Amino acid sequence: MKNQALIDYLAACGVCRVCQLRYLKARGNEYRDMQQTFKRLDVEVSPSAEAQDTPDEQPPKKPRFSICSTCLGLFSEEFQTQLIEGILKSDFANYDSEGIVLAISLPMTLQLRQLSMWFALQRQFGRSAIDDNCPPDVPIKEAVKLILHPIVCARLGKAYDANGLMINIDVRHSVEAAEVAKLAELNRAAFPAKAAHQKRIEISRGLLEKQYQPARIKAELFEKYLPIPPTAVEDALQLQAIELTGPLICVAGRYRKLSRELSHTPWVLHGKRIMEESIEEIIVRHVGPHFSETLEKITFMSSGREDVDVRCLGKGRPFVLEIANARRSSMTRQQAHQMEQAVDRTGKVSIHNLQVVPREQLTHIKTGEEQKRKYYRALCVLEQPVTLDILQKLQISASFDIQQKTPIRVLHRRPLHTRPRTIFSVKTRVFRDNPRLLIIDVVSQAGTYIKELVHGEFGRTTPSISSIIGKPIDILALDVVGIDLDWPADVNNAETE
Amino acid sequence: MATLEEDPLAPYYFQQEEQLICGQLVSPITDCYNAMMNYPSMVDRFFTRYYYIKAGAAYQLLYHSNRICLVCLAPTHPAYGEGIAKVSYNVGNVDRSQNVVKGKAKKGGMILQADTTLAVLTTDAGNTYKIPSCIRGKLVEVNTALLADAKQLQLAPEGAGYFAILLPKIENCDDIKASLLTQQQYEEQLKRGET
Repeated sequence: MKNQALIDYLAACGVCRVCQLRYLKARGNEYRDMQQTFKRLDVEVSPSAEAQDTPDEQPPKKPRFSICSTCLGLFSEEFQTQLIEGILKSDFANYDSEGIVLAISLPMTLQLRQLSMWFALQRQFGRSAIDDNCPPDVPIKEAVKLILHPIVCARLGKAYDANGLMINIDVRHSVEAAEVAKLAELNRAAFPAKAAHQKRIEISRGLLEKQYQPARIKAELFEKYLPIPPTAVEDALQLQAIELTGPLICVAGRYRKLSRELSHTPWVLHGKRIMEESIEEIIVRHVGPHFSETLEKITFMSSGREDVDVRCLGKGRPFVLEIANARRSSMTRQQAHQMEQAVDRTGKVSIHNLQVVPREQLTHIKTGEEQKRKYYRALCVLEQPVTLDILQKLQISASFDIQQKTPIRVLHRRPLHTRPRTIFSVKTRVFRDNPRLLIIDVVSQAGTYIKELVHGEFGRTTPSISSIIGKPIDILALDVVGIDLDWPADVNNAETE
Repeated sequence: MATLEEDPLAPYYFQQEEQLICGQLVSPITDCYNAMMNYPSMVDRFFTRYYYIKAGAAYQLLYHSNRICLVCLAPTHPAYGEGIAKVSYNVGNVDRSQNVVKGKAKKGGMILQADTTLAVLTTDAGNTYKIPSCIRGKLVEVNTALLADAKQLQLAPEGAGYFAILLPKIENCDDIKASLLTQQQYEEQLKRGET
């Protein structure tokens, strides 16, 4: 099969220049200068057709042949202009994303037309020239990426980015309903066994892609329902709707918590709020509005959590906000600093190292949770004044393992397990004004229940601080003073560049 | 200071490190202690004490605010006087120490009635006491430490000598509490010398 013969046949079927190139399996930038590509492939095009596709001048088109029978005008200049206008008319200007990605929902008839042309080419050039399994063209979906994407990106002055602002484009065509109805009939005839087995077969794009190839369906059967080659159409594709979905932006930082009356996330019991505020809400309220208008869709994650009555000091606990459909994808250091200061003014929570991070970095916060070391300070009380012997017993620099049963306080809603945990070190000081008070610094494996480690919880955590000294000891207060995770990176937003 | 004698605890005195957060100095953790305040014990903080009488002997139930229950001996239980020799969870037809629970719902836990025998306690005097479950509920955990060393029961602080942890159904909690003696009722009974 010669390229020339192929192109002549396609042109006779009313296939546009771009689609002709698709059938020549043109790649990437070969679509940019089509004339040159045709020349290189040794194909002559009729001068009238050539003039039609020169981008500089737009001669009036003959309505009959102007709409391509295989792409229904998807790759025509009119459609591109219509598309760009549509995008500019949408909320597009309100998104600052550098990168965009097109998501076009196309009518199924385009897939049917591809199959029809596939059969037509097999008839024209024989099954040896045109394969049964491998489509003869560059599929429309791929061609959208190769052809439409670069044009739209250039016209809008944006770069292509699969994770960028998603432009969802809904495209319809007037023949869609009728042709899909035909397809449903064809499907019952072509796969009767399956049709009998299932009550309702959904005609879907996926089904089309999987089942509808010359290898699986006979051209004669197809032709009973739909024409080979595809017929010309009167109308062009209709741009039904354009919807924008902003990128998913991740904002990381570290938080510290000064209040002993502040929960991690909203605390609701029997539909009633126990506490007015939470760390999550305070942070989202001050950081969220810069990126999104829908604060309730922001997800707050952190590397572990502390109890309501526990402070989090030192460098603080790493956290991430996952902001879907973000309007803005970046912030300046100055803006970040303003957010940090606004949170600080609550006097309950402080955030720093605030920054936008790539999504891949979220693994730092999500994985290896068990391996992380946590640093705690506990205020403990003895029944009698401390002795030198007790103080010496509670200076432990070598790590040791404990067995910890699920604490009774959470046992009603969590499974009963005995968990081995490593305590890396224990350092104990006594309060000068009251020798019954001990300040115990513990370095432990993440997931250790510190309150239970201190009093031993009726012997359910062994060994415990209590069992080591052989005396009852209770815990009055707890602070987290360090979390062993060097992420996110240190940034000083207060520093002006 | 009366003497200049060296203080052996001196090297262990707590010193607060300074840190600024939210523009304020972080208060030392020791500020949480209030000398005027009477700190309730762990049992007082989270549990309510109830009592159950069986065969003239009193048993104590520590009822957590989340409805988890610990079954213990009441301080007046005669076994304390006789000396505790041995605890067994083998109650004849079944060994309660073989109890296994799975998942949040504690699936597979033995279902016990208030007067079902939970464990058998033998005293140095040679008496045996059948420890009742005290409430209707699911057996979550038994205190296997008592198997190896029952003597520790004698000295254990309140709660540490628990025989088992039970989980009653939420809907049964009110009836269960009503069926038990409160701390006050128990003390009144003691005064009348009934137990």
